[in-house]
Amino acid sequence: MSRGRPTPTDGVSIGLWTWGIIVFIFLFAPIITIVVYSFNAGRTLVVWDGFSLDPYVRAMADPTMASSVLTSIKAALGSAAFAAVIGTLAGIAAARRPGKWAAVFLVVVTLVLITPEIVDAIALLIWFVRMGGPFGPDNQFVDYGLMRLWFGHAIFSTAVVVLIVRARVSGMDESLEEAAADLYAPPWRRFRQITLPLVFPAVMVGFLLSFSLSLDNTIISSFVSVAGSTPWPVYVFSAVRGTLRPELASMSTVMLLLTVLSLAAVGFVLRRGGGSSSELTQALAGGKQ
Amino acid sequence: MNSKDTSIPAIRVLAPTATAMRLSRRGFLGGMGIAATGALLSACAATPGTSVAPAAAAAPVQLGTELNFFNWASYDDPATVKSYTTKTGVNIRLDVYNSNEEAIAKLGAAAGTGGYDIFVPTGVYIPQIAQAGLLEKLDHSKLPNLAKVDPAFLNQAWDKDNTYSVCKDWGSTGFLYDTKVIKRDLKTWSDFVDAMQNEASGKTSIMDSPNYLAGLYAWRTGMDWTSTDAGFLDDVEKFILNDVAPHINAYESYPGAALAQGKSALMMCWNGDARQGLMAVHASDPERYRWVLGAPTTELWMDNWTILKGAKHLDAAYSWINYVLDPVVSYKELQFTGYNTGIAGLREKAKADKLPLSEMIFFTDQQVATFKSGALNSGTDRLVQILTKAKAASAK
Amino acid sequence: MIPALPAGLLLTGFFLVPIGFIIFYSFGYKPGLLSSIGVDRLSLDRYGEALNDTFLLTFGNTLQIALLGTALCLFIAYPFAYWLSHHVASRYRSTLLAVVLVPLWTNFLLRTIGWQIILSGDGWLSKALMSAGIIHQPLNILFTRDAVEIGVVYNYLIFMILPLYVVLERMDPSLRQASRDLGAGRLRTFLQVTFPLSMPGVVAGCLLVFVPLCGDYITASILGGASANMAGQLVAAQFLMAQNWALGSATAVVLIIAIIMTVLAAGAGLAIVTAVLRAHRSVTLPGAVN
Repeated sequence: MSRGRPTPTDGVSIGLWTWGIIVFIFLFAPIITIVVYSFNAGRTLVVWDGFSLDPYVRAMADPTMASSVLTSIKAALGSAAFAAVIGTLAGIAAARRPGKWAAVFLVVVTLVLITPEIVDAIALLIWFVRMGGPFGPDNQFVDYGLMRLWFGHAIFSTAVVVLIVRARVSGMDESLEEAAADLYAPPWRRFRQITLPLVFPAVMVGFLLSFSLSLDNTIISSFVSVAGSTPWPVYVFSAVRGTLRPELASMSTVMLLLTVLSLAAVGFVLRRGGGSSSELTQALAGGKQ
Repeated sequence: MNSKDTSIPAIRVLAPTATAMRLSRRGFLGGMGIAATGALLSACAATPGTSVAPAAAAAPVQLGTELNFFNWASYDDPATVKSYTTKTGVNIRLDVYNSNEEAIAKLGAAAGTGGYDIFVPTGVYIPQIAQAGLLEKLDHSKLPNLAKVDPAFLNQAWDKDNTYSVCKDWGSTGFLYDTKVIKRDLKTWSDFVDAMQNEASGKTSIMDSPNYLAGLYAWRTGMDWTSTDAGFLDDVEKFILNDVAPHINAYESYPGAALAQGKSALMMCWNGDARQGLMAVHASDPERYRWVLGAPTTELWMDNWTILKGAKHLDAAYSWINYVLDPVVSYKELQFTGYNTGIAGLREKAKADKLPLSEMIFFTDQQVATFKSGALNSGTDRLVQILTKAKAASAK
Repeated sequence: MIPALPAGLLLTGFFLVPIGFIIFYSFGYKPGLLSSIGVDRLSLDRYGEALNDTFLLTFGNTLQIALLGTALCLFIAYPFAYWLSHHVASRYRSTLLAVVLVPLWTNFLLRTIGWQIILSGDGWLSKALMSAGIIHQPLNILFTRDAVEIGVVYNYLIFMILPLYVVLERMDPSLRQASRDLGAGRLRTFLQVTFPLSMPGVVAGCLLVFVPLCGDYITASILGGASANMAGQLVAAQFLMAQNWALGSATAVVLIIAIIMTVLAAGAGLAIVTAVLRAHRSVTLPGAVN
C-alpha cells in the first residue's frame, strides 16, 4: 500500500501504520459486534444465544420498523437536498459579496452551530405548534410529519453547507467568472457553467454530511416527529429503553449494507467524473489558506 | 351496543363504590376473589375476538390502517400487536416515554399535534391530564370487554365511572440485586440503602423520575411519599444528596430489561420490568439475580388505557383497547410484561399453569396493604430540582 | 446577497424566531402545576434560579468531559490523519476515507450499544482478558468516566479526522523537505512546519467536536450512566419533567452564553500563545541567519 513512499520501514512509519490500523479497529469494533449480534437467535440483542437468520426475517416482516426506516430515508434525502441547494446559494453569495449582510448571515450560521440541539428541538416544537396555514397539520401540500423533520434537520445542515461552500468559493479565483461576464454570458449561464462545476465537490460533501446527520438525528427528531412518521433513530431510542431485540441490529445491518453500496456507487460516478473524495473533503478544512 | 346496558350495572353490583375507591386497600383483593367465578374463568378459554364479534357485527366500522401509541417501553407483547394487525389490518406505531412527567410535558407542548391516539398514563395523573383537556371521554358501548375487568380495578377514585380510562396494568416497585456482589439477604428499602452504601456502592441504579426520590426516602419508614411539606422535601434532598447520590452509577427507569448487560448490581425497578429481565437471564444463570418487593411500604400504581383528544383513529383505538381486555389476549400480555392486567380470573389461570415467577405478578393481601399511590402535585418542581442536583452529585 | 434569501428565510423562520420565543419565555414564570409558561409578568428571576450551584457544577463537569474528549480526539485523529494523508498511496486514500465514514451509517445508539456489549463485565472482551490473565476481575468500565470518554471519542472522532485530513493532505511536501534540507530534525520539522501549517484544521476539528459535545446529553450517558452529567440534561429536565418552560429557557440561554464564552476564551488563549510563539521565533531568527 505504501508504494512510492521513500522509507516504508523506518520506526516512525511503522508506528503510524500501526496507529492507523488500531484506529480502524476502534472504529469498527462496535460495528462488527452489532453485525455479528444481528444473527442472534435469542430474545435479547445483547445476550448471545446461537446463530439464526430469524431476526432478519422478523425485521423484514415488521411494518413499523420498515416504515420508520423509510421515513428516515425520506427525511434525510429531503432535508439534505434542500440544505444543499439553499446552502450552496447562500455560501456562494456570502463569499462573493462580503459586507454587512454577509457578516450578519454568518453570525446567524455560527449561532446555529453553537445552540445545543435540545434547545433547538424545544424551540422548534413550540413554534410548529403555533404555526398554522401552509406549515400546519392541515396543509394540502406535504405530509405534515415529514415536513417537520425536513425543516428540523435542514437548519443545522444548511449551516454546515453554507460554511463548506463558502470555504471552497473563498479559495477560488474569480477571474473565470469575470471573463465569462466580459464575454456577455448571462448570470444564470455563468453560474451553471462556471461557478457550479467549481463548487460542486463542496456541494456533494455538504449533501453527504447533511444526509448522514439527518439519518442519525435523535434529539430534534424525537421532539418534532409526529406519530406515524417516527424516524429510525427515534424508533431505536424507544426500543433501547425496553427489551432490545436482535431485529434492530438486523435492520441496521441491512441499512449499513445499502448505504455502503450507494456510497460506493456515488464514489464510482465521482471518480469517473474526475473528482475524488479527498478533493471533496478539502472544502471541510473550514477556511482557505 | 346492547352491552352497555348489561355491563355497566353489572360492574356497579360487583364493585360497590366504597371498595373500588380505595385503590390500595383490601377491596382490591376482595374484588379479585369475587371475580374469580366459574363464568369468568370460562371466558378465558374463549378465543380472542369472539367477544368482539357481536358488537362488530351489529355496527361494522372501518378501522383504518393505523393506530398510534404513546406508551411505556416494552409494554405490549410484539406478538399481541402482530396478531391484532393480522386480524384487523391496523398497523400500530409506538413512541415511548420514561415517566409520566415526560409524557405529559411532550403532549402538552405538542398541543394535540403529536398525532397520538392512545396514551397510557398512571392513574393519579389522570385528573390533571383530563382537566388540561387532553383526554377523550370513553364510549363504553364500544368496549364490551370492559365486563371482563375485575371490578376492583374499575371506578377508581381518580376516574369515577371510568370516564376517561380503563385499567391496563397495575404493579409496584422493588429492586433487583446481583447475588455475586451482594451476598446477604436484602428484604427492605433500608437494606437497599445499606447495600447501596456498601457492597453495591457505585453499582446501584435508581429510577430516572423525580417522585421516586421522595419514595425511596419515605418508603423506608412508611411515611407519606406524596407530601408537599417543605420540611419533608428538605429531608428528601438531604438524604438523596448525602446518602444516595454518591453511590449511584445510573439513573435508569428500565434497568430490568437491560439486566443481561450486567451494568449494575443493585437496581430499583418495577415488578414487571424486573420479571422481564429475570426471564431473559433465567436460562443461563437462574440464581444470580434476586427480586425484592419494596418494604415496609412501597409504591402502588395503575396504568390506564386512555384515548387522546383529537385522535384520528378513534374506532381503531376502541377496537384495540377492547381487544387487549379479552382474557386470552390479556393473559398473553401478562406473561410478556409481567404485570397484572386486572382482568378477572387470570391469577387462577396462572396458578393452574404454574406460570414462572408469578409471585412477581400477583401480590398477596398483606403485600398490597403496604402499597401507596403516588401523586402529581406541587412537590414535583422541587423533586425535579433535587433530581438534577443528585445527578450532578453522582457524577463526581 | 439575493441568492442567500432562501437560506436567510429558513434560518429566520425556523431558527431565529423559535429561539426568540425561548429568549422571551426565559423572562416569564410557571403559573401552575400543569401550565408551562406565563408571560404576563416579566422578570430576570429565572436567570437567578438558572445560575445556581447545580448549573455551575454540571457545566464544570460538561467542560471536563468535553475538553478531555476533544483533546483525546485530537490526539487520536492527528497521527491517523497524518498517516492517511502522507503514508497511504494517494489512489487508496479516498477509499479509506470513505471507509472511515462507514460507522456514521449505523445508528449511533446501536453503535454505542455495540460498545456496551464489548465492554460489559460479562462480555467477550472481559472473558478474553481474564483467561489471558491480563485482568483478574471482570471488566468494570460501563458507567464510569472511562466509558463516558469512549462513547464521546467514538462518536465524535470522525469530525476531528475530516478537517485534519484535509489540511494535511493539501500541505505541500516540499515545505517539509525544505525544512529537512535545512538540517531540521523530524521532530523540529513537525513542531515548526507541519503542525503550525495544520492549525486551521486543528481549530476547525476542535470546534466541530467541542461545541456540539457541550450541548449533547445522550451520547455520553448511554455508556457513562450517572458519570455523564451534562448541561443539556438540565435544560431537558426543566422542559420534560418540571414543565417549567421559563426556567428551562433561562437555563438554555445561560448554556449558550457559557459555550460562546468558553470558545471565545479558548480563541483568545490561542491567539496569545501564537503571538508569544511568533515573538519568540522572531528573536531566534537572526541567530539562525548567523
